[in-house]
Amino acid sequence: MTRRTRLFVLIAAGILVAGLGTGLLASYMNIQNLTLIGGNGPEEFAYVPSDARVLGFANVRDVMDSDVRKKLMELNPGADGADRFQERTGINLTTDVDTVTAAVIPGGEQGPPLVLAKGRFDMVRLEGFARDEGGVVEDYKGKRLITHDNFALGFVEPGMVAIGTPAVVRRAIDTKAAGNGNVTGNDELMRLVHQVDNGTVWGVARFDALTGVNIPSEVKDRLPAISWFSIKGIVGSGIDGLISAEARDDQAAQDLRQVVQGFVALGRMQAGQNHPEIAEFINSLQITGQGRTVSLGFSLPSALIDALGALRAGQRPQAQPTPEAPATQEPPRPAPPAL
Amino acid sequence: MRGAWRVFELSLGEMLWSRRTVFLAIVVGCPVLIAAVIRIVDSLGVVPLRINGQRMDFTAIFGVMIWVLFLRFIVPVLGVFYGTSLIADEVEDKTITYLFTRPIRRSAVLIGKYIAYMVCTTLVVLPGVMLVYFLIVPFNQVAASFSMLITDLALLAVGLAAYGGLFALVGTVMKRPLVVGLVFAFGWEQFALIMPGYVRRFTLMYYIQSLVPHAMPAEGVASLLQAFFTETPSTLTCLVSLAGAIAVSLALAGRVVERREYVLDQ
Repeated sequence: MTRRTRLFVLIAAGILVAGLGTGLLASYMNIQNLTLIGGNGPEEFAYVPSDARVLGFANVRDVMDSDVRKKLMELNPGADGADRFQERTGINLTTDVDTVTAAVIPGGEQGPPLVLAKGRFDMVRLEGFARDEGGVVEDYKGKRLITHDNFALGFVEPGMVAIGTPAVVRRAIDTKAAGNGNVTGNDELMRLVHQVDNGTVWGVARFDALTGVNIPSEVKDRLPAISWFSIKGIVGSGIDGLISAEARDDQAAQDLRQVVQGFVALGRMQAGQNHPEIAEFINSLQITGQGRTVSLGFSLPSALIDALGALRAGQRPQAQPTPEAPATQEPPRPAPPAL
Repeated sequence: MRGAWRVFELSLGEMLWSRRTVFLAIVVGCPVLIAAVIRIVDSLGVVPLRINGQRMDFTAIFGVMIWVLFLRFIVPVLGVFYGTSLIADEVEDKTITYLFTRPIRRSAVLIGKYIAYMVCTTLVVLPGVMLVYFLIVPFNQVAASFSMLITDLALLAVGLAAYGGLFALVGTVMKRPLVVGLVFAFGWEQFALIMPGYVRRFTLMYYIQSLVPHAMPAEGVASLLQAFFTETPSTLTCLVSLAGAIAVSLALAGRVVERREYVLDQ
C-alpha cells in the first residue's frame, strides 16, 4: 500500500470515526437539551410539571402581527369581540399578550388546563375585576393568587400569569419553587418539543391524553397504535403546518402512513377539478416520516386564503338575502306566435 | 487468504488512483455539494426545499437524499462500474495472465479485488454520507435521528456489497458486463419493482429499500405505483436474502474464474 493510499484511508476513516463519535456523544448526552445549544424551551416550562401529558405553545405576538390574521380580520371584521374583555380587564389581546403556553397535567383534566401567558398585564385592574366577580385574592408562596370557584389566576412573575384550576396553578407555583421536577426533565416529551418548537404555534401530546377517557373501548381498539402526537404551524403570509404522530413500532407507523396516504388520495379525488382551491391545498399535503414517525405537512399559501375568502364572500349574500333587496322577477315570457 | 490480501493491497491503490475514482468523487461529491447549498440557503433565512408549497423537514431532506441519490443511484452505479471491472479490466488490459501465474488460487484474486472494491467505495461513500448528514441535519436533531444514520450507513455498505458481488459475477461471465450491468440496475430493477406479484423478489433493491428507515418519497408515478404494490418483507428476510445473494454471487464468480480459460485477444 503506497503512502498516499494509506493517507486517504486514514482521512476517510477519520471522518467516519469523528462523525460517529459526535453522533454517539450527542445521543448519549442528549445534547439537544443542553442550554448551551439553543436553550431548552421557553422560561414558562419551569412552571409546567414533568408529568404534563399535553403541552402547547403559541407566539401570540407573531400570530397577531401576521398577514394571515389581518386577512382573517378583513374577512370577518365583527368577529374580534375583544373590546368588552379589554374594557373590564385592561388586556388588549392584540397587543398585550406575547406568548401563551398551555399544559394538561394529570388531575387537572376536569377544569381548564394550566395556561401561562406572558405579556403586559395590569395587576391592579385585574384584581379589581376579580373582586367584582366575587373572586378571592390570597398570597400563595409569595405569589398573588386570585381564585373563584374552579378557576384561579396567579401573578407568578412580572409580566407572566398562570391560569387554571386553583390546584393546577398552585402546583405550577410549587414546581417553579422546587426548581426541579419541571417538564424540561421529561426527556420523551422534550425530544418531541424540540422537533416542533421552531413553529409559531405548536403542541405535543400523549395520544391517550388526546383520545380521553370518554371514547368507547371498541373505538379505542381500532385506533392506530400511536403513542405521541405533535402539531406545528408557522404563521406568516400563509400557514405552513406539520402534523406528526409517533407510532409504537415501525409496522404501526407503516400502516398509519398507508392509511394517511389513502385519505389524501381520497381527498384528491373528491376535490377534483371542481374545487381548485381545495385541490391546491390537498396537493400541498406531504406525507413524510422515518422509523416510527409519520408526518403530514400542509401549506395554506396567502393566495389560497384569499381565494377561500373570496369564495366565502361570494356565498354570503346567497346564504343571507337582505330583506330590503327587491325580489327579482322573471320577465314574462313572450307569447307564442299565433299560427 | 494471504494471496487475497496481497491482491487487495495491490488493487486498492490501483482503484483509488484510477480515472474511475474521479467519477466516484464527482458522484459522491454532488450530494455533499447539494447539502452545503441547502445549509447556506437555510442560513440566509430562505426555505431550502418545498414540496407542493410545504417546507420539508431537514431529516426528511436527508432521508430523501439517501433514498433518491444514494440508494437508487449511487450504490447501483458504483456496483456496476467497479464490480464489473474487477476481472473484466484485467482481461481487457491483458494483465490477467500476470495475476493468474502467481502461486495463489484464482478465486483469491477475485476475493482480494472484491475486498479492495468494498474498502474503496465504502471509504468514499460513507464519509460522504456523514458530511451530508451533518451539513443538513441541525445539531439539536442529531440525538433523535442518529440511529437512522447508523442504519443508513450499514444499509449503504450492504447495498455496495450486494451490487458489487452481483456485478463481479456479471464481469466474470459476460463479454460486455458494463452494458448488461447498467441494463440490470436501471432497467430490470426499476421495471420489476413496480410490477405486481413476485417479480420484484428477483431484484436487490426490493430487499435494500425494505430496510430503509425513512419513508419513501411519494413523488412521481413510479413511486406511487411502488407504494401501491408495497409488500414489505421482514428485516431478517431482507438481510438473509442479501447475504445469500452476496455469497452465491461471489461463490459463482469464484467458480467461473477458477474454471474459465481466458483467451486474450492478440
